[in-house]
Amino acid sequence: MSSNKPDTEHGRKPVQAKNGAPIIEVRDLVTRYGETTVLDGISCAVRPGEIFVIIGGSGSGKTTLLKHMCGLLQPAAGEIVYRGQDITRMDEDELAQMQRSIGIAFQSSGLFNSMTVGDNVALPLREYGEVDNSLIPDVVRMKLSLVGLADAENKLPSELSGGMRKRAGLARAIALDPPLVYFDEPSAGIDPIMASGLDDLILDLNRLLGTTFVIVTHELDSIRKVAHRILMLDRGKVIFLGTMEEADHTDVERVRQFFERRPDEFIAHRNIA
Amino acid sequence: MSEIRLKCPDTLNAESGPALLEEVKGGLPEEGQNVVLDFSRTRSMDSMGSAWLMRLAEAVRGRGGELRWEHASGDVVAFLDLVKPGLLTRPTPPERAPGFFEATGGSAINMVTELREFWNLVIDTIYWTVLAPFEGRGFRWGLFIDEMHEMGVRAVQIVCLMNFLLGLIVAMLLSKQAEAYGIQIFVADVVMIGFARELGAVMTATVVSARTGAAIAAEIATMQVQEEIDALRGMGLNVTQFLVSPKLLAMLVVLPCLVALGIVCGVLGGAVWGIFVLDFEPSVWFNETLQRCELRDIVEGMTKTIVFAVMIVLVGCHNGLRVTGGSRGVGLMTTRAVVMDIFFMIIIDIQFATLFYYVLE
Repeated sequence: MSSNKPDTEHGRKPVQAKNGAPIIEVRDLVTRYGETTVLDGISCAVRPGEIFVIIGGSGSGKTTLLKHMCGLLQPAAGEIVYRGQDITRMDEDELAQMQRSIGIAFQSSGLFNSMTVGDNVALPLREYGEVDNSLIPDVVRMKLSLVGLADAENKLPSELSGGMRKRAGLARAIALDPPLVYFDEPSAGIDPIMASGLDDLILDLNRLLGTTFVIVTHELDSIRKVAHRILMLDRGKVIFLGTMEEADHTDVERVRQFFERRPDEFIAHRNIA
Repeated sequence: MSEIRLKCPDTLNAESGPALLEEVKGGLPEEGQNVVLDFSRTRSMDSMGSAWLMRLAEAVRGRGGELRWEHASGDVVAFLDLVKPGLLTRPTPPERAPGFFEATGGSAINMVTELREFWNLVIDTIYWTVLAPFEGRGFRWGLFIDEMHEMGVRAVQIVCLMNFLLGLIVAMLLSKQAEAYGIQIFVADVVMIGFARELGAVMTATVVSARTGAAIAAEIATMQVQEEIDALRGMGLNVTQFLVSPKLLAMLVVLPCLVALGIVCGVLGGAVWGIFVLDFEPSVWFNETLQRCELRDIVEGMTKTIVFAVMIVLVGCHNGLRVTGGSRGVGLMTTRAVVMDIFFMIIIDIQFATLFYYVLE
């Protein structure tokens, strides 16, 4: 069995995001854990069809911001507007409805250990009833083949490697073709070949299905490959928001340090000592 | 091999997919016919359309043919490239359920493996608890103190309450029977003997296995799942010395103390019924109780407590270390540990009953 050669070559360049109303907008977001302010007045807007990458050092509040954007955390102050509605003011049902329309791929995959990989991907399809029941096995197989896990359908998550679990988590996140997918650390803990393949998949889904991605990552290669725009957090504040080209020419010292992989002074001194 | 050619619709999606599948099925009268899909007029497809294409490929394969496509262009090519692995591979069949002999053999092998692992744990535990400290290889006294607090001090309230209530219930039931013969004072004797020989130890061990045995299994299983056990081994530390021995020694100290408390509380529960409901003078009731309090009964109860303590810790640790999988594995092993604790407790109790009342009588 074989396919014919494609009629045209297709590259994997990021496409320009559509202009217009943001799909999700964060306004003056403040989050506190006890006395500690984790996010301090964060504002940003993600456009439809965009790959929006959130970067920053460890503990800068990236994952916290992502969880706010998914409606998993309630802020101390500020608004998060998804398609014109403030999710911080939504009741439980409205929030659940909003969460149905997004996909979330967690850093540690968030797969249910008691279910096979196939059942994990099928779960949103069965629960939300948006797909004909008889077609669900085909959709599951298609989603798994998209992430390169066609053979893992009957395996348990515990039988998969970290990278495979991450890809299975993404397959579940895109099961319902959501317009917006959040992806926490897609490249962390997986080999460069796999990470590059995952970046290609993100670009393909973005281009072919118009899926908007909000990605939290540290991986410089991935950022350069997929990002349309970058938001950099430092100590809970936005210190940069712009394209990769703008990031390469910025005067913000912390951003330059991040992309040039320069250690903090005290670490450099310790290394010299 | 003959082939049929079909034109794909302008848009391949959830709406147009079923019609294309029907068209292909209708055009496949012969076995082994290939199907070539012409994508020349298809401008877009989505993931639901791909799912229908996948089903179509399976239908063609099921009749011994092959699915090919041609004249695709633009994004449709990219989409077909993305889903090609799924279109070209057969669905993975579910694993075959083992037959009777295979299942029996597998169970036997698992049982032998488990018994060997348990035996190794027992030997390791004896060494690291009894011998190693005298060879200067150290013992984690800090953890031992913490475990005594966790297993003992924090369990006092629930152990006392459960035994007190059980004593009360035993007295309630017995007094009804004894009333017919006018021998209600002997309820005090039965409660005393029952708790000293049997109920104090069994009730307390049941509460402790449900509370502490489950906690031991869950803690070690979670450590196993999160690679903390591997980290210990990777640092050259012995898991038994680090985790099991302090727990075992702590349990050996606290369980007899808890059982002693349990016996007292059980007797007090019976006394509450005797004094406040049966209207006996406290001095009469407690005098009768103390007359029946024999050292031999206490020794019998405490002897099995020692065995219960060893069993609860070893079963908890053994199940925790055997965990596979993630959170579900932790839950299964925790449940298994408690069920095994209670089962072995009954088996051990039967052995002691036979030994004390028939062999050594």
